[in-house]
Amino acid sequence: MTSTPSSNGLRAARRRSLPWQALVDAAMLLLWGLMLLRFTVTGKLYLLLHPDYMWLAHLAMVLLLAMGVSRLVQVWLSYRQGTGQTIRSQEHTALLPRQFSVALLIAIAVFGLVYTPRPFASETAFQRGITDVLGQTRSRPQRFSLGGESEERTIVDWVRTLNVYPEPDAYAGQVAQVSGFVTHIPGWPDEFVMISRFVLTCCAADAYPVGLPVELPPGTARPAPDTWLEVKGKMQTSTLDGKRQLTIGDPTLTEIPEPRTPYEY
Amino acid sequence: MTQLNNGITLFFSLLVEAMPFLLLGVMFSSVLLLFVDEQKLLAVIPKNVVLAALAGSLIGFLFPVCECGNIPVARRLLTKGAPTAVAIGFLLAAPTVNPVVFWATWIAFRDQPEIVFLRVGFTLIVAVTIALIFSAQTDVRPFLQDSLTRIMGEPEPATPVPAEVEISPLLKSGTFLMQSPGQVLQLDAPPAQVLAQVAVAAPPMATRLRMMVDNMVLELRELGAVLVIGSAIAAFVQVAVPREVILSLGQGPVTSIVAMMALAWVVSICSTVDSFFALSFASTFTSGSLLAFLVFGPMIDLKNISLLLTVFKGRAILYLFVLAAQLVFLLALVMNLYTS
Repeated sequence: MTSTPSSNGLRAARRRSLPWQALVDAAMLLLWGLMLLRFTVTGKLYLLLHPDYMWLAHLAMVLLLAMGVSRLVQVWLSYRQGTGQTIRSQEHTALLPRQFSVALLIAIAVFGLVYTPRPFASETAFQRGITDVLGQTRSRPQRFSLGGESEERTIVDWVRTLNVYPEPDAYAGQVAQVSGFVTHIPGWPDEFVMISRFVLTCCAADAYPVGLPVELPPGTARPAPDTWLEVKGKMQTSTLDGKRQLTIGDPTLTEIPEPRTPYEY
Repeated sequence: MTQLNNGITLFFSLLVEAMPFLLLGVMFSSVLLLFVDEQKLLAVIPKNVVLAALAGSLIGFLFPVCECGNIPVARRLLTKGAPTAVAIGFLLAAPTVNPVVFWATWIAFRDQPEIVFLRVGFTLIVAVTIALIFSAQTDVRPFLQDSLTRIMGEPEPATPVPAEVEISPLLKSGTFLMQSPGQVLQLDAPPAQVLAQVAVAAPPMATRLRMMVDNMVLELRELGAVLVIGSAIAAFVQVAVPREVILSLGQGPVTSIVAMMALAWVVSICSTVDSFFALSFASTFTSGSLLAFLVFGPMIDLKNISLLLTVFKGRAILYLFVLAAQLVFLLALVMNLYTS
């Protein structure tokens, strides 16, 4: 499209035709903004991002919506005045055809508007190697504060504490109260399950599972994987897979609904 | 089914985390396209080849563009008589050595700050080295596309033209518009160049703002689509490839680097957001290979080869590719073998 005012005929023709490209761009921007708005309003953003970086997603949402609206205003103004919409090409050589890019972006935004993200569950935890040991690349804060009482520690607090001082006997008898989802570890005796959580440092892409073994009271049915439980019990040492491990013993199990923020940080 | 759900959650997580940075990137590059005048910039670049190469590599701080925006700028730098060292240094380093990319890498790898700093350090080493190798060739023209050498006009003397020696604006061929005394606007220049000059002549704020939004939408469309494809690949690899395969590939000091460099080349994800992509491999791949991905990807990948072809001939791109690949591989290998 050029904007050279060559003849009246051309101008009249332009007045009648809508600038479809600009309208499609506006739709793309607005849909992406709405998709982020939906994730924010429904709280699903908590499944995707670390809360520290949510303001960035909110900023993106505002920018996208503002750009979309400004595009629409531009289109409206130029349509009313009868001047064509000029899209400058810059020196930007595109790899993907323009229509393809726009179609893909619109399709993803629409998909994001109808699809509800789901938190990671036990199967993924097992696949990603659930453990009470933090690997080489895991967040190991130089300093982290533990809320005075042992029952206020979360699963990741326990795991971080264990990484500093791994001897399980040191914690024997301490009261633990944690919540998480149930994972069955193949090879463990039937009375043991893992109570687990995913930990995020940035976004779901780096979510990694941590967990603590729980020894069920005799006669208790094994809770199904992915059941969310609050577990209260006393710390003890058990030998699982030939390794001495800190275990929550003699627990009371309370089934809880899946929390709004299923990850720990 | 769980796998599919996980894959989609991962995919949206990458998109939602990366989109703000992509927006910031295109916003900066659009603003600076209108406000920074390369001509003035070139005048202050040092003569010494090593310093020039370093300066070229650091210009990225003024043009925070990712690898799709930097090639047009490098092209403009060359047409405006920038020494080869400056243009090559800029071309290779600018997508990585700039504030937006630094910040994004910091957010992704705040638990491993060494990755953030080594990314910048390695990029500077590789960019300056290759810039020096290329500037050993006194006349860079045989490496450039004919269309570009034509724009560059008269053959250069054996030594690079000092940037200040500016040919009078009236002694050039082309169609010009007289502006204020001594200032002309070349009408048949590439659009972005016209834009840059127009910016100096200060068009009304509304026009400038509109041009900025136009450029942002344009870049967002293109880079956004590549981001979607890249995120889909990352999510797919995470959930579909068996973990044992990834681990056996990702833990070898050599195989991990080769794998990540190949991935960087194919995925072509924009440098402002590639750290989030790399992050999804952080638990399974060696640190050296993550760095190789973060340093090599922005320099040369499948996507920007088509862009590079607008500046260089195939042979020169091959040299750039081979040199960059070897240097990055060596640095990453040293990192894998001697740290950790």
